[in-house]
Amino acid sequence: MTVQTSQRRSGGGYLDRPASSGLADVIDIILDKGMVIDVYVRVSLVGIEILTIDARIVIASVDTYLRFAEATNRLDLYERGGKDLFDALGETSERTSSGKVSGAIKGVKEAITGGDEEEEEEEEEQEERRRPAKKAPAPQRTGNR
Amino acid sequence: MTLALSEIDEVLEEPQRRAYYVYGVAAKTPDMSGLKGVQEAGVHALPAGDLAVVVSLIDLDRPPRSRSDLLAHSAVLDTLARSGPVIPVQFGSVLADLDSVESDLLRARGEEFRSLLTELEGRTQFVMRASYREGVVLREVVAGDQRIADLRMRTRSLPEAASYADRVRLGELVSRAVEEKRASDAEGLLAEVLPLTVASSPRAGSGMDHVINIALLVDNDRISALEETLEDLAGAAHERMTIRLLGPMAPYDFVGDPGGLVD
Repeated sequence: MTVQTSQRRSGGGYLDRPASSGLADVIDIILDKGMVIDVYVRVSLVGIEILTIDARIVIASVDTYLRFAEATNRLDLYERGGKDLFDALGETSERTSSGKVSGAIKGVKEAITGGDEEEEEEEEEQEERRRPAKKAPAPQRTGNR
Repeated sequence: MTLALSEIDEVLEEPQRRAYYVYGVAAKTPDMSGLKGVQEAGVHALPAGDLAVVVSLIDLDRPPRSRSDLLAHSAVLDTLARSGPVIPVQFGSVLADLDSVESDLLRARGEEFRSLLTELEGRTQFVMRASYREGVVLREVVAGDQRIADLRMRTRSLPEAASYADRVRLGELVSRAVEEKRASDAEGLLAEVLPLTVASSPRAGSGMDHVINIALLVDNDRISALEETLEDLAGAAHERMTIRLLGPMAPYDFVGDPGGLVD
């Protein structure tokens, strides 16, 4: 149940205070942030940038509207009333929001950043100063429902 | 402004394809012992007058951009930030040699760094994120707009292909309604939180559950007040949304503008 989850996480309160940041949080926090200096080489993070922009654009698209419609139409599943309602709601909504929308975006980011050793070895190119960005592969839309 | 000779001797012996990965600029020479940076390299503070440039010597043939490099970049900076003010440099910034560190970085921008570090002294960044519990907010939206309730009834009973236009319309109305709720909920949160901060910087957010994502710069003696306020807000709003507080962390969001962070 959602309430218990948040209580566990923050040791008694409702505020969620993760002790350490996972990869998705770290990318979110440091991407495009920090002082820009003149450099000899800037390591390319182009793939991640493109995906972040992509995630922002999607917000106003027909696809997004369809997702909103679908989520709204799913509501009847828990329109039962009574005392169980909040429990069912909390659980379902948390799974929906983190699993479906933000989860998908995080998943894409992780996929691009890679992280397993094999992928690191392959990514040997680097972006010399002012070299045009290499195009990143298009993000896959995962239809997990 | 000169770099410490011992550091220079040490690094000149390194092979050609090596270069300096720059994490940031600190106000004093911090204790870097035991810290692992990108490519698992040691982290060094190159002292230069009252500043120190924090670097790792890295292998340019294998540029840092793996999961562990990203984590190392933020871990080094967050550790630095705990012991004093630091200016985080954007991830992936590499300088060719010590000459560049001294001439391009310190000589060209030393004054700017000094004044920024003074502003950051005794202050800490946090990131606050609020997210809706999607089901709860969508129910509010359906209950609050008859057109949405009607469209929902109609599209639910039809096959997808037959109701495409109606579903797009439904989604658009819901999306707008959520957007309005978001604006007013975000405003309500900010009214409580911003008075406790020195500066704030909104961050991009997405997804239908997004309410607010914002970086906050806080005087260290207001941190517990911020935590208490957010705890109260999170408790009061917990049926509709969750609130996360990330940090303390280095001031990534408050070093981009040369104009300074405080109006």
